[in-house]
Amino acid sequence: MSTAVSTAVSTAVSTAVSTAVRRGAAGLALGWLLVPLLPVALWAVASRWSGRAALPQQLGTAGWVSALEAGLGPALLRSTALGLAVAAVATPWGAWVGRLLGWRLARHPRLLVVALVLPVLLPPLAVAMGLDVVVLRIGVPGEVAVLAVLAVLALPYTAFTVAAGYARLGPGPEEQARMLGAGPRAARRLVTWPALRRSLALAALLAFLVGWSDYVVTLLLGGGRLVTLPLLLGASASGAGNEPTTAALAVVAASPALVLLVVVGAVLRSARRSAPRTGPGGAA
Amino acid sequence: MSGLELRGLQHRYPGADAPSVVGVDLVVPEGQMLAVVGPSGSGKSTLLRLAAGLETPAAGQVLLGGRDVTALPPERRGLSVVSQRPHLFDHLDVVGNVAFGPRVSGTPRREARARASRYLRLVHLDGLERRRPGQLSGGQQQRVALARALATGREVLLLDEPFGSLDPELRAAMHELLVELRAAMAPTVLMVIHDLDEAALAEQVGVLVDGRLHQVAPPAELYRRPATLTVARLLGGFNELAGRVVAGPDGPEHRSTWGCWSLPPDAAGQAGHGATLLVRREDLRLAAPGAPPRGPSREGRVVGCRRTGARVVALVETPDDARVEVELPLREEVAAGDPVRVVPEPTATVWAVPAAQTGPPDPSHHTRHTRHAPDLPGSGPGPWDHAWRD
Repeated sequence: MSTAVSTAVSTAVSTAVSTAVRRGAAGLALGWLLVPLLPVALWAVASRWSGRAALPQQLGTAGWVSALEAGLGPALLRSTALGLAVAAVATPWGAWVGRLLGWRLARHPRLLVVALVLPVLLPPLAVAMGLDVVVLRIGVPGEVAVLAVLAVLALPYTAFTVAAGYARLGPGPEEQARMLGAGPRAARRLVTWPALRRSLALAALLAFLVGWSDYVVTLLLGGGRLVTLPLLLGASASGAGNEPTTAALAVVAASPALVLLVVVGAVLRSARRSAPRTGPGGAA
Repeated sequence: MSGLELRGLQHRYPGADAPSVVGVDLVVPEGQMLAVVGPSGSGKSTLLRLAAGLETPAAGQVLLGGRDVTALPPERRGLSVVSQRPHLFDHLDVVGNVAFGPRVSGTPRREARARASRYLRLVHLDGLERRRPGQLSGGQQQRVALARALATGREVLLLDEPFGSLDPELRAAMHELLVELRAAMAPTVLMVIHDLDEAALAEQVGVLVDGRLHQVAPPAELYRRPATLTVARLLGGFNELAGRVVAGPDGPEHRSTWGCWSLPPDAAGQAGHGATLLVRREDLRLAAPGAPPRGPSREGRVVGCRRTGARVVALVETPDDARVEVELPLREEVAAGDPVRVVPEPTATVWAVPAAQTGPPDPSHHTRHTRHAPDLPGSGPGPWDHAWRD
């Protein structure tokens, strides 16, 4: 009896400790994320915050007004459009490459991985400068060049994300759909893609973020005509005395990443909830 | 006409040292069921995938109702597959899963779902239509997979170890369900299995080893007359007695240190050749040592016993150091060290296979028993060495 009690106590203690450790780690991660954002958030609602003051002395919307006057609206639209365009190009390509990698259909998978990773490994500034010359000489519009390069840069993220989904799913469901009478396209559309919806959504979000947050490629290949939010933010941050404006722009620029974080968390929680309640061999 | 025929199928996976399927010929007559049994890696699942069109054969043909479908993609072959993992579609509910086949073949949604409900009733899952696959047990998922395959209206069903992941009780329930479904719909079924007990569900059983089909026969025939030693060893429970077939006055006989065994008339072709006699352990019994009776027998000593359910299997060592397994009648037991004489039951049926198939005989072991294939659950317990008690 005493053994049973001591075992129960030891299990309860170990569970409590592991919960505390998990919560502590989550708190640290959240702190790591929020600490840099906190001053930005405060600056965004401050109209005066001087010197050594711990908190803003005066709150106001001056930063937001100034940001709107500097072109926040159009820049927001351009960034959104660029992010969506990059996601629209990089997600289908990533899904295709991810299928090859996840189901080991590629004849030379290592070569494919190297080809995917190479653009990310090279310094973007060097790549963008080199491509700038090429783009100018062959007469490709800057916007198209920006989109193409960002899609290539987003491809590793989308491909590996979807590849993990394909590897987890396996070809079984798609083969089953074929055996039930669905053609290859119908099997993919009706079974495989719905089963991969979370991986595809995550890949699209990552690709969107690549387009949304890019600075160097947009600046160099866009030739200054494509003014997106990061460009506006960069210009504002390089000046002095306009912290509220910069902070307002930074808050808007950071918001998709925060949304992504919330969405990923929700997806992971929902995946845990929707896991089969009983495994094979359970009672019929 | 929905019989299935595999003709000379050959297959090798890229980079594999050995072919996975070698010249397999198989016929499943319309409305019948054929079970292919074999150890892990013998090519059973590959054979099914070749029939289904999920793998491309290097040579050979797949015929359905006499029509060559080898070049057709899986969706146009007119076959349904149920595999060990049910592969239910998580984004659809149960009725949506079962209605999938009719829907992709163009049946209107309402009609497809009505048909799905009928098949769900057939597998005793009515009332669970709106559940998600993740909310079902393993057995229920497998029933949904069966209903989904049947709802396509295809008459040929390929089952790839469909009950392999279920516990014994659930498996027995699924066996009953399969019998019910066969009685109701008479589909042509090709099933690959790992468990020999499931072979009894089929009219014919094929034994596949290393990609080669060694024998196709009704289950009882398989146990009575295994075509090769490989088949006998896979089935398990056979004692192997080395000797020679001669033409006796009343027909062919097998002669060895055991004496003379009468063989069925169709063994006459082996006369004059070395042959291994196969006698099942339940066809032998233990008698008191002493004067040899008429007919074949061998004296020996019990060296171990193993309980298999209600019965005991005794391991007897003969003077020439060979060992024989004898399954004792119910409630009969012996002790290790007991001197005994092993004699055949009066109703014993024996069979001989050419000795050449075993390779050169080992002169020190004229008799042996076929060990159970370790990875075939239905073939009985695992290697005896670990289970014998002295």
